[in-house]
Amino acid sequence: MKTWALIVDTWREALARYTLLGFLAVSSLFLLVLTFALNLDIVDGALAAGTLFGKAFEVPGKGPAIATVVATGQSVFAGILYVLGVFLAVFATGSQVPNLQHRGTVDLYVTRPIGRTHLLLGRFLGAVTLVSANLLILCGGVFVIISAKTHVWNPRFLVASALILLVFLSYLGFMYLVGVLTSSTPLSIMLPYALYLLSVPLVAHDRIAAAMDTRIGAGAVQTLYWILPKTAEIGRDLTGYVLGKATPAFLPLATTAAFGAVCLGAAVVAFNRKNF
Amino acid sequence: MPALPATPIASGDSPAQCGRGSRYPRAAPAGENNAGATNVYAGVDTDAAAITVRGVSKEFRHGRRRLRALDGVELAVGRGEVFGLLGANGAGKTTLVKVLLGLARPTSGEVRLRGRDPRRAAARRRIGYLPEGHRFPGYLTGKASLRLFGRLAGVAEGTLDQRIPELLELVGLAGRGGDRVGRYSKGMTQRLGLACALVDEPDILFLDEPTDGVDPVGRRQIRDILLAARRQGTTIFINSHLLSEVERTCDRVAILHQGRVVREGTVEDLTTPTMRYRIRLGEGQSAAPERLAGEGLDVVAGNGSLEVEVADLAALNRLVDRLRADRLLIAEVSPLRAALEDVFIEVVEGEERAAAVSDPGPRTPDPGGGR
Repeated sequence: MKTWALIVDTWREALARYTLLGFLAVSSLFLLVLTFALNLDIVDGALAAGTLFGKAFEVPGKGPAIATVVATGQSVFAGILYVLGVFLAVFATGSQVPNLQHRGTVDLYVTRPIGRTHLLLGRFLGAVTLVSANLLILCGGVFVIISAKTHVWNPRFLVASALILLVFLSYLGFMYLVGVLTSSTPLSIMLPYALYLLSVPLVAHDRIAAAMDTRIGAGAVQTLYWILPKTAEIGRDLTGYVLGKATPAFLPLATTAAFGAVCLGAAVVAFNRKNF
Repeated sequence: MPALPATPIASGDSPAQCGRGSRYPRAAPAGENNAGATNVYAGVDTDAAAITVRGVSKEFRHGRRRLRALDGVELAVGRGEVFGLLGANGAGKTTLVKVLLGLARPTSGEVRLRGRDPRRAAARRRIGYLPEGHRFPGYLTGKASLRLFGRLAGVAEGTLDQRIPELLELVGLAGRGGDRVGRYSKGMTQRLGLACALVDEPDILFLDEPTDGVDPVGRRQIRDILLAARRQGTTIFINSHLLSEVERTCDRVAILHQGRVVREGTVEDLTTPTMRYRIRLGEGQSAAPERLAGEGLDVVAGNGSLEVEVADLAALNRLVDRLRADRLLIAEVSPLRAALEDVFIEVVEGEERAAAVSDPGPRTPDPGGGR
């Protein structure tokens, strides 16, 4: 019941701060547009014509196979959602730990007969359920609408949604560590964004390391690459996977998950040792 | 849950009229009244005590500086006792309460609640805490706050359904339970904090400045609630610098100064009657104080009563005879006790004078206190 209370508390906080309503409103708008603004005419399994916001368009000659159109559209959407979704989720949950650690508030929570590990992980679980539900509504909605309109069911899109959640969880672990150590909402939001941006050049870590003058510099680049979340790399693999290419590489996923788990573990240790 | 007492609570009779001589007894000085047995402290069997503090020190690091907030504190509070911790701002009161509740780890020494380490979650079952300057999440209503913290305390849903309205009624928030806490006044927030502290029917109740921001009527209600809780056997630990409140509520007090317990004892012992008396005259009657002063008595007259300091009971009786000879009717003669405030100020000033003589250097304030 204590875990349930913490999950409900997280949802209540998101509801009161309009993050939940805001996300649902944006998701609903997007799904409505997708439902009513886009209509496709499919002839012999190929796209022949359609309407977008009431404006008709025709595909000259024999159009592309509808399965290809769907996969391409879903891949683009997965890419957008991967970038925007993680950014928005970080923004929506960045204040969780700093708010918990407010002077006068933390005393009320921590003096209850609940372990600090339980307390922090309960809040974490609350955030996971919140973001999962949002992703389920948005990604699930897009999947159902596109599939229902085209009769093409591409499960790779759902797998990609799960990977988006995995990357977010890694960032959430990092946010918890920053939040516990600094009690700062701005830092809890900015530092994950910095990691996100840093992951872009680190895709080319081998070339950057080779260009380094010193072994120490090269080693530092490689170390950063292996330690930090491989956000850009996973994003590239993920869109390719939805298009029908190879399964995303295991190591980037595993090390990204490990980064989040280690950060969350460190956050729990720090939270347990903290004087309030 | 403590119900509001049916009988009114008698108010104390301790006007702060007494001078600041050395007449206050040095009752139960800290650490000196160990009854010879290692498991007895200040007359409390520490094995069975609700709260035990053994040699607790707490240091904070502020950059390179180390600030000592608590310095070898020894305390024991018996079950069912109402204990008051007094101290000036920065004396270490809040830090001690935080150590007692596991919010902060002591640098050395140990604390026990009912014999258990409060840093363990299970040891905090049925422990109520009203923190100073507490801040409920503003997005919760009063009811939702009680439900959240009741659930975290492990109280069953059915019990909460019944207890939440009762608690709101008890603290005078029955009509406002559905409002968001963010819209509460300071006094209402304080009342909600008290309700929250009582939500799991605590055995031990810690209250840090419980009447802070509460109006006089509310203070009276809070005092009544605490006294009702005491009657039901709840151990109450009050941390306050409102000495009159402490005097009216507590059985025993300790005075904390610069992180050390410098005086400890029952309120009764610390505020032993002085040789000062209040003589209340019959309605509409008055005595000329200058006539009495002429007999070498220190007399303060006003509002149908006299306050007089006498050398002994014989002098008091001579005074009564004199008043009766003047055909004045006497309604009441009552001894005045040294007010706790006077004792407190004397102790603290005495400690500061002693510290100034022995160590003229600056002291380290308690970072957790004086919020």
